[in-house]
Amino acid sequence: MSETTPPQSRPGAVPELADLTESSEWVATSSARRGLPPTREIAGAVVPAVLAATVALTLWEIWIRARDIKEYLVPAPTAIGRALLDDPSRFVEAGSISLVHALGGLACGAGSAFLLAVVMAHSRPLERALYPLAILVKVTPVVAVAPLFLIWFGFNAWPKLLVAAMITFFPVLVNAVTGLRSIDSTSHDFLRALDASRWQVFWKLRLPASLPYVLAALRISVPLSLIGAVVAEWFAADSGVGQIIVIANGELDTPVLFGAVFVLALIGVTFTGIIAYIERRVLFWHESSSGV
Amino acid sequence: MTATHTPSVAAVDVSGLGHQYVADAGVVQALDGVDLSVGDGEFVALVGPSGCGKSTLLRVLAGLLAPTEGSALVRGDAPQVALTSHAVGLVTQDPGLLPWRTVSGNVSLALEVTGARADVPELLGRVGIDAFADYHPRELSGGMRQRVALARALAHGPRLLLMDEPFGSLDEFSREDIGLELLRIWERDRVSVLFVTHSIREAVLLADRVVVMSEAPGSIIADLPVQLPRPRSQALEQTPDFAAAVAEVRRAMGGRE
Repeated sequence: MSETTPPQSRPGAVPELADLTESSEWVATSSARRGLPPTREIAGAVVPAVLAATVALTLWEIWIRARDIKEYLVPAPTAIGRALLDDPSRFVEAGSISLVHALGGLACGAGSAFLLAVVMAHSRPLERALYPLAILVKVTPVVAVAPLFLIWFGFNAWPKLLVAAMITFFPVLVNAVTGLRSIDSTSHDFLRALDASRWQVFWKLRLPASLPYVLAALRISVPLSLIGAVVAEWFAADSGVGQIIVIANGELDTPVLFGAVFVLALIGVTFTGIIAYIERRVLFWHESSSGV
Repeated sequence: MTATHTPSVAAVDVSGLGHQYVADAGVVQALDGVDLSVGDGEFVALVGPSGCGKSTLLRVLAGLLAPTEGSALVRGDAPQVALTSHAVGLVTQDPGLLPWRTVSGNVSLALEVTGARADVPELLGRVGIDAFADYHPRELSGGMRQRVALARALAHGPRLLLMDEPFGSLDEFSREDIGLELLRIWERDRVSVLFVTHSIREAVLLADRVVVMSEAPGSIIADLPVQLPRPRSQALEQTPDFAAAVAEVRRAMGGRE
């Protein structure tokens, strides 16, 4: 009976996955608490974090004032707040452009990675042929190709989208291939004994089984896509938060630099939270959401 | 149902069946010269020591595995052909339910795939879990999950149930309950059943015939009719006739349990 179904998990076949699954982002799901109403759940997660942040910001402010540290070295939180409120529309506009770049790139990268994963999950030869190419995309530093994309595609959204897509491609690919293969062999046998088509097996078994893996990959990819978008914006210096960083850097305007960092962190936290919420709603059946 | 066979065709007809597979340690002969038939509407139990190839035989009959020697017919057709007419229902030790579907969703799965129609609440009622239609598998006990698996296997109206140690992971009480439940369904619908088990008592309690397999490579070493009255109940287990039938099977297996 060995030839009928491939072993369900093959550690070593996709070594990078182990790194991903062991990362803290993945483990975070297991602490998800079910059963609480969403508002209380959110409050329970937000209140301690806000308290901790307030304490940290206060200590920071005290430190700056007590030691009289120069603003161009490290600005006080109040100085950063002033920089943000000085021209809020500038940050909102740049933030939304970066957001579009990052999420657009994520959609392209994750979408193409998932399609490729479907092909690779169904064919070992194709997997062997395409996997090295995927590795090549993974090991190429995006910082090295961003200027190249700028030369090829010019000063528009494309270089940003492509860099963000490239950086998110691999985690989604590896996790989706593993997820699409992670089907229960008994369920698979049952469907085969009923003469289920490949399409039915895909739609009713493989796709739902892959969701825990794909969503975990997306959670890792959201911050990655922001990195990709900002790196490309930085090279082009024509739009987005990356542009603010380049300009503020040239002017040694450290409060604005910190403001830009704050905007990026806010976007990253928000979207990671949204994906974590979707995970909890969609993956109620998976061990990762059992809360044990 | 698209099955076009007359009722007289044997549900299962296996002759000279052998199967080898290649493992790391070399070629393993799992089955060797197996002859077995299951009549239409008959309940046959297959017992044998673990690793004797019982599951391999069932996988061949389910059309999941092509044997290397001999022939296997399911309702007169090769298993791979028989499965296209949805004549077979499969229940295994691990129920293999989809965790993201509810109980009734899991039973509907068989209907969605085969295009057959059936009354899902009625099916759930037949196996005694109609109150749990909207539960997810993880909220159910092992015994209830097996009931779902049984309802799912019956949903598309199969003429042959292949059961591979279906109640093997259950405790004694649920095991007897669900076994007798299966008998009631069988007595009503008269589907043919090939029931693999490692419990001699379970085999004798349920089956018309107990077929004994040898150690690997598996072949049939005894074929014992069970002449106990039907309908059967738990009380039967206390009778001398039952004990005698169990002892006979145990002797045929070489004195082991």
